[in-house]
Amino acid sequence: MNELLHNIREAVITRKRNEIQGLVSKAIEAGIEPGLIIDEGLIAAMDVVGQQFAENAIFVPEMLVSALTMKLGLDVVRPLLKAADQPSRGTIMMGTVKGDMHDIGKNLVNMMLEGAGFTVVDLGVDLTVETLMEEIEKGKPDLLGLSALLTTTMPEMERVIRELGEKGFRKHMKIMVGGAPVSKAFAEKIGADGHGADAGEAVALARRLIEG
Amino acid sequence: MKTTSYNLIMSALYKGMKGERPPVGNPTSIACHGLMDLCGVNFPEAHLNPQAMAELALAGHEIVGFDTVMPEYSVHQEAAALGCRVDWGDRNRMPDSRHFPYEDFSDVTVPVDFLEKPPIRVLLDALSILRRHVGGKAAIIGKVMGPWTLSYHMAGTQNFLLHIGLDEKEKVNRMLRQLMPATMASARAQFQAGADIVVLADHATGNLVSPRHYEEFLLPIHKELTAAIEGPLILHVCGNCTDRLEMFADAGFDGYHFEWQVDAKTAFEKIGHRMCLVGNINNSEVLYQGTPEDVYKQARYAIDAGVDIIGPECAIPLSTPIENLKAIVSAVHEGY
Repeated sequence: MNELLHNIREAVITRKRNEIQGLVSKAIEAGIEPGLIIDEGLIAAMDVVGQQFAENAIFVPEMLVSALTMKLGLDVVRPLLKAADQPSRGTIMMGTVKGDMHDIGKNLVNMMLEGAGFTVVDLGVDLTVETLMEEIEKGKPDLLGLSALLTTTMPEMERVIRELGEKGFRKHMKIMVGGAPVSKAFAEKIGADGHGADAGEAVALARRLIEG
Repeated sequence: MKTTSYNLIMSALYKGMKGERPPVGNPTSIACHGLMDLCGVNFPEAHLNPQAMAELALAGHEIVGFDTVMPEYSVHQEAAALGCRVDWGDRNRMPDSRHFPYEDFSDVTVPVDFLEKPPIRVLLDALSILRRHVGGKAAIIGKVMGPWTLSYHMAGTQNFLLHIGLDEKEKVNRMLRQLMPATMASARAQFQAGADIVVLADHATGNLVSPRHYEEFLLPIHKELTAAIEGPLILHVCGNCTDRLEMFADAGFDGYHFEWQVDAKTAFEKIGHRMCLVGNINNSEVLYQGTPEDVYKQARYAIDAGVDIIGPECAIPLSTPIENLKAIVSAVHEGY
């Protein structure tokens, strides 16, 4: 692999936030395609970071700093991309259900999904079914990601999925669920289209659900 | 030893004599719709009115048969008293806050009248009411947030964790140290108001931070807190903490309240000889979605593994069927 891309990848993995923009600029000056810098440098690094997180080799603080490092790198290289170079892979709306203000997991998934080329619309936390329906009508996403961290708010997830189904919102949109207490079995029981145990799995799932 | 709820819990806490059966306890909330309906008390009244708070706690003992009463259903009493704007929710929603008054890591000052702020006063008054009703009969449990959880409330969880990731040690330590007096004052006042045991919840969980961070930032603080607060303390940390159990024992807590993700047998092997184990029936799969038979099986597994006080792993979902709570009680009534 190109040494410059390798250095970019390592900088994201090892959280060198003060060095990343210099490294990305160097790669640009060396004539490396911006798309390549993103895919093989920054995003490839986040795949490794996601894997390390899944294996408990790193935790949320480290992952947040890696994501911040990736973002700093993207800030330098994104403006150079031509519109044609970055087709969106689909639109994903993400939110935490009513009664739940926790959003770290969702935010990490957002960052990974954006990195993977999806258009992510973050609806925030504590979302009522009504708000969700309004936003879905406006944004027409391909996929809705629902998050709950608390066992106390899981029942709300079930209610949201039922109501969205009853009102016909699921005809053109898939739903994925996640969050610490949410399991594959629970996802199946409440009728979600899929479940991601961590940010890396959520990205793979989104690819599968949208791209088939 | 007489088989009273109080005796069973206190003896189990100190790993003393075993009674006729293991005790069943709730260091965290067992408030659910079924319980609210049975005693006629709802959220948010139960967070705001001491009589309502105490009545809902009593229902857990008198109607469901738990050996403890624990009147704090949210994790926001101290945060509210420290200036967070808290939405106290409703019957279907736990309290929460989206207001982080110290996002900029500026100096936190614990108000001089901290214990007289309504969110703390209501809890202290509820504990005193419980003391008058069931003192010496059921074990009365108070609950206080530790400096780590309070930092989540003061700075925002993601923001706080990001600062740990950025290695801002001085800022992180300063905030933790400045919040310690709030934890200490609330815990002491709860004992004075009538608590037999106080649960100290501090969410440095395995799902968020590494054991190294616990050791570096929180272990020294927990050691100081357990030394300074005289009454018995049960530590509550959610998530899979298998990799840091020994440190919880090193910190000097009398008990550890843990989740299903930590296997009860592993927990017993690692720290069962050093501290009381409390828990660990799974909330999401078993208490909320499972059958009384599923609950019974997990309770028996915990008893066989050596867990000293049997109960839910954490605050239960509000729509948990009350039959499932009763199934824990049935399981312990079969004895050891």
